[in-house]
Amino acid sequence: MALLEVKELVKSYGGRSVLDGVSFDLEEGESKVVMGPSGCGKSTLLRCLNLLIEPTSGAILLDGKDITRPGADVRAVRSRIGFVFQNFALYRHMSVLDNVTLALRRLKKLSKSEAEDRALHELDRMEMAEKRDAYPAALSGGQSQRVAIARALAMDPKVLFFDEPTSALDPIMVREVVTLINRLYLDNVTILCVTHDLGLAKHISDRVVFLDRGKVYAEDRIENLLHRDDPVIEDFFGGEG
Amino acid sequence: MLDAFPFFADVISYWPQIVRGLRDTILLSATITATGLVGGIGVFALTLSSKPSIRYLTQSYISLFIGTPLIVFLFLLYYGLPNLGVTLSPFAIAVFGFTLNVSAYNARYLTIAYKELDPAELESGRAQGFSRFQVFRLITAPQSLRMSVPALTNQAIQNVKDSSIVFLIQYIEFFAQMQEVASRTFLFFKTYLFTAFVYLLLVSVVVLIARRLERRLAIPGMSASVGS
Repeated sequence: MALLEVKELVKSYGGRSVLDGVSFDLEEGESKVVMGPSGCGKSTLLRCLNLLIEPTSGAILLDGKDITRPGADVRAVRSRIGFVFQNFALYRHMSVLDNVTLALRRLKKLSKSEAEDRALHELDRMEMAEKRDAYPAALSGGQSQRVAIARALAMDPKVLFFDEPTSALDPIMVREVVTLINRLYLDNVTILCVTHDLGLAKHISDRVVFLDRGKVYAEDRIENLLHRDDPVIEDFFGGEG
Repeated sequence: MLDAFPFFADVISYWPQIVRGLRDTILLSATITATGLVGGIGVFALTLSSKPSIRYLTQSYISLFIGTPLIVFLFLLYYGLPNLGVTLSPFAIAVFGFTLNVSAYNARYLTIAYKELDPAELESGRAQGFSRFQVFRLITAPQSLRMSVPALTNQAIQNVKDSSIVFLIQYIEFFAQMQEVASRTFLFFKTYLFTAFVYLLLVSVVVLIARRLERRLAIPGMSASVGS
């Protein structure tokens, strides 16, 4: 049984389908990247999967349980999914350490010292422990993203979602963030990442789900996709590879 | 004390009245600043309701109280409530009327600050598993409040000055006491000049506290959104 099963997922806005019957699986320990042209529904897909956006129809099974069924505990589902945003989304009124401990204390109900121990462990893993007292405004983009990843990891999620984790970074910071996500990939952390960054996809994906106009157009290993003789895919990758 | 201010000696000799008035002005100002802050946060929370009808009613409330003079509501309560069989003390009416008014202003300041927040932070809170109320309490309210400190403290200063109008509903605070001193001594110029100095002193103290609060509560890297 896959950790995450997405079945015929549809999201429509006023009759226009952004997602039009998307299906794929994500095994435990697997890393999949969702790619596709702008407006193909990548970010909407990620937000539907943790119910930040309510899907119109279809099913999402996490650990075999349909999380879209009426009465499902949406907040419990979300706390099992780590979400790393494009623009980091750190809480600007809190220090780095408080950003990471907030959910541990309020949702996991850990004591202050337990929460701090766990937070510092994850910050250390992301090489950010020495910035524990800094505020987000004092961090670079790469540092912010590393804190955001530590914050997500600290909750011990079943799966880690990344929404364009490198698109707000300059090239040097992209390299450092790709290296860290790659380290998670090698540690067999289950990852679902939306990106248009081919370099990132090459370093962290077992397989790529290629979306086009709200449908799964192809699903394959990145090196196979890059060599496909297909105008839609070729057009997206623009001859790279 | 009288030697230090010989010009005001005649007025200061009424110091028991002055002290009583000051005490009542400070009591009223502090009370309406506190209730107005709590009320403002409550009204602000309602402006973020998921129900459009509640949002509409809340906005109407804010517009009503920002758009009409406070004294009208104080008179409405003071002269109107007894017609409904409700009799409240002038202090209670002053607190009630001011709270309705100040809450509307404070809610508006908080709403302006809210518009400066990063929507991704709020989405991030929900993605972590926080409830809507937790997102409000842990992220929205602290950030909006801290970004509104200059505006909220300006409102506190305004409260001290505006509290002088309650003499019109028979709450005998500092200004009312000074009126009595003036009419008793016929030293109108001296008395009201002294009154102005005392208000200035009182407001200066509030300003000092306000600026310290602004420095302490500022979010690093973020500028206050309103009132600075």
